[in-house]
Amino acid sequence: MSNVEIKSRMVEGAAIIYPGPYLNQLRGEDIENCCQEFLKRGVNRLVINFQETELINSIGISILLGVIEAVNDAEGCLVLSNLSATNRELFEMLGLLDHVRIEDSEQGALDALTEQAGTAAR
Amino acid sequence: MSDSDPIQILSRLTDEDSFVRQNELGKLCSVAKSRAVRNALVLAGPRAGKTELLKKTFDRLFVDAAGVAPIYYSFRPTASGVERFARDYLTQFLAQFIAFRRNDPRLMVAADASLTDMASAAAAEDYLWVKSLTDSFSRSVAQPDPGSMLRTALSAPLVAAARSQVLPFVLLDNVHLLADDAVGESIADLRSELFRVLAGHENFAMAGAATAHIAPRYALCGLRRPLAEMIPADEGLLDSLQTIRLEPVGEEPLDRLVRAVARGSGIDISDSTKELMINQLGHDIFYIRALLDSAASRSLSLKSFMEFERLYTEEVIDGRIGQYFSAMLRSLASPARSRRAMLEALNLAIEAGDAVPVDAVVDRIGEHTNDPEKLLARMHTRELLEIGYGFVNAPADPVLADYVRSVYRSEVAGARRPLAGELLLAEKLKDSYRLMMSRYNRSIESQVVDLLSGFDFQSAPASLFDQAAFEKLYRGASRVQARRALDDEQERARLPQIVVVNDVASADQPGMRWRLFAATGFEGGIYSDANEVIWLVALINSKEPLDLETVNHIDRRLEAYGRSRRPRIVRWYISKEGFSAAAAELLSRLRAYCSTYAQMDLLHDYLVKLGQSKRRPASEFELVIPIEEDAELIAARMVEQVARAADFDQEAINQIKTALIEACINAAEHSDSPDRRIYQRFAIETDRITITVTNKGKAIGSQNGEASKLAAGSLRGARGRGLKIIRALMDEVRFEPTDDGTSLVMTKILRRPQESDE
Repeated sequence: MSNVEIKSRMVEGAAIIYPGPYLNQLRGEDIENCCQEFLKRGVNRLVINFQETELINSIGISILLGVIEAVNDAEGCLVLSNLSATNRELFEMLGLLDHVRIEDSEQGALDALTEQAGTAAR
Repeated sequence: MSDSDPIQILSRLTDEDSFVRQNELGKLCSVAKSRAVRNALVLAGPRAGKTELLKKTFDRLFVDAAGVAPIYYSFRPTASGVERFARDYLTQFLAQFIAFRRNDPRLMVAADASLTDMASAAAAEDYLWVKSLTDSFSRSVAQPDPGSMLRTALSAPLVAAARSQVLPFVLLDNVHLLADDAVGESIADLRSELFRVLAGHENFAMAGAATAHIAPRYALCGLRRPLAEMIPADEGLLDSLQTIRLEPVGEEPLDRLVRAVARGSGIDISDSTKELMINQLGHDIFYIRALLDSAASRSLSLKSFMEFERLYTEEVIDGRIGQYFSAMLRSLASPARSRRAMLEALNLAIEAGDAVPVDAVVDRIGEHTNDPEKLLARMHTRELLEIGYGFVNAPADPVLADYVRSVYRSEVAGARRPLAGELLLAEKLKDSYRLMMSRYNRSIESQVVDLLSGFDFQSAPASLFDQAAFEKLYRGASRVQARRALDDEQERARLPQIVVVNDVASADQPGMRWRLFAATGFEGGIYSDANEVIWLVALINSKEPLDLETVNHIDRRLEAYGRSRRPRIVRWYISKEGFSAAAAELLSRLRAYCSTYAQMDLLHDYLVKLGQSKRRPASEFELVIPIEEDAELIAARMVEQVARAADFDQEAINQIKTALIEACINAAEHSDSPDRRIYQRFAIETDRITITVTNKGKAIGSQNGEASKLAAGSLRGARGRGLKIIRALMDEVRFEPTDDGTSLVMTKILRRPQESDE
């Protein structure tokens, strides 16, 4: 499972990243690298879609906190989507929801990014 | 044939409820059926029920018909000469063996027939060897060497085993009678020949399994003191011997016995009298049966203490018990003068209430017997007295003491018998109340000792050690309600593992009795000085709440005990009626634990329940994973299957999986595991799954849920979150130290749909 490559794609100028079924340290670091790459390329609107993510461990969450921090530093915008109930509970419990927006669907996340960009432009 | 089959051949007790030595019966039967060559040595005190045990074993094996032929033989107290013994033994053996082979216990009466007729009773396939054996015995009778007869007779079990392929289990009763050389020279020959036969088992053992099936098994049974002394220091013999000691029978089987006999005999008996009977008679089966038989034969009621003590007094003075002692004294010392000497010695030891120098006793009885030392030695052998290191102690038998007092008073001191009633009756009535009270105290004290001995790093509700908090939380709650509520209590007290409990002091004063215990143990899984702890426990039985003055007094005693000891001291006061306000305040300042008897009972219930839940999962699965990348996913997959089978819904399954992953990561990160493995156990019960994750090496996490410093410094300060996640997703989480690591035990309760809806 650790050898699964992190998938990503560009939609409406935003990068969508798919962490895969298990977000652990290794894949957390892969996501971190992937995000850094996008930020370097000037893509600062990011979505992480957890549709396929069945399990997340605490190390993965820690790394995710680092990603949130990095995106904020780059004045970018990050939205998480498609979290399962348990994973959402985890994020809530560990205080991630104070730092990042969560949407039920990928489209909802893209809409949220557009909305935030509009707000920022005004 | 079931274990409780009532068929009786030799045994006397008709009801399985009346037979109180089931455990020992099982042990003897397993020696009989053991594949290895083994013998049993059954050591018993007087009247311990050894003969009934052997006879019951005989019956059980006879009825089982499982290839082991039971043979019962009892040595007799009088000299009978080698020839008579050899003939008797051989006849009994053959009659019982033939009866077993033909599955007809009635054939055992063939033992009354002559030896030469024995072969005709044998089954066809045994005829030849039985005939050959009896012929051989007849020839040996004609020989000048009496040892030849003895050897032929004692070889019978071996011959039978070799020729019939059926293993005899020879139950030898009253073997201690062979210790008495005074009975005759032939006894010494018989003894040495018997042990030679038994020691021969070494050869079978050395020959291995090939010959084990033809090596007869023996059970030697007799009075413990002489029998233990007569066993020769023969390694082969000692190796093969499994010692079974007939300890005093416990209260529960005796309670069953009394109830069964009383029910069967139509005796009206109350629970209090039943308890009094068992305890006053020193848990002795013979005395208990004697009294019950007497009550039954005379249609007496035993509902009140008075009725019981009246019957007891009569039995001790003139009844079966008195006759038994009288016969025993006669058998030990035939001239009346010697009997007087025995009474003098017994009375002296009993009245002294403490050890009496042997010389003093010898002086006292010297004028009544020619050989006082020898008489004392015989009394010791029969357990009428205890002699050791130059001192004589009274027997621990309370009934014998009553008999001696009573007989001494009337026959030696010459006191006149009362016009009506008996002095002994008045004494026993006073004793009965004291006995029951002290029994109550002893029972509470032994409950505390058991409780402390059961401390094994459990986590218990903290309110059980804090009377004020307990009152606040559970005032007015029934024991059942409190017991339920305690399960949900968040505040916990971590118990140590107690390894030794000592009695420190006790005191009786009007309206109060207290006793102090020191329980030494360890607070962590590592047995080091730093982890050593002593719990000083004060158990107070008083009619009023414990007052300040008494607390001060007891605390000084505890202080004095604890001062000289290095380990950490924990004080625990357990007071039946609680504590006065001033006493509670002082104990709070001293940081002492305070409980009432009710709290102690609840703690006992709690620990028992905890132990049961540990012992009895409905089904259990185990998994060992290596500490390597993503191995925790294998555990998550497995627990998913287990939890699904246990009816957990998908959301709960995801929570369990996430918690397990965190537990595995914790175990991997925090341990210093030499084998680089994580051990997991999944226990399913009707309403929960309990997952135990164990590693070897350092602790997985600390008890209060804080991550270790090692973990906190790594991975961007992530750690600590793992435990937080586990605690949030599971219903119960605790750490348990193991001998070489730590276990994290987490439980998820199964919530059925209707529970979730509520």
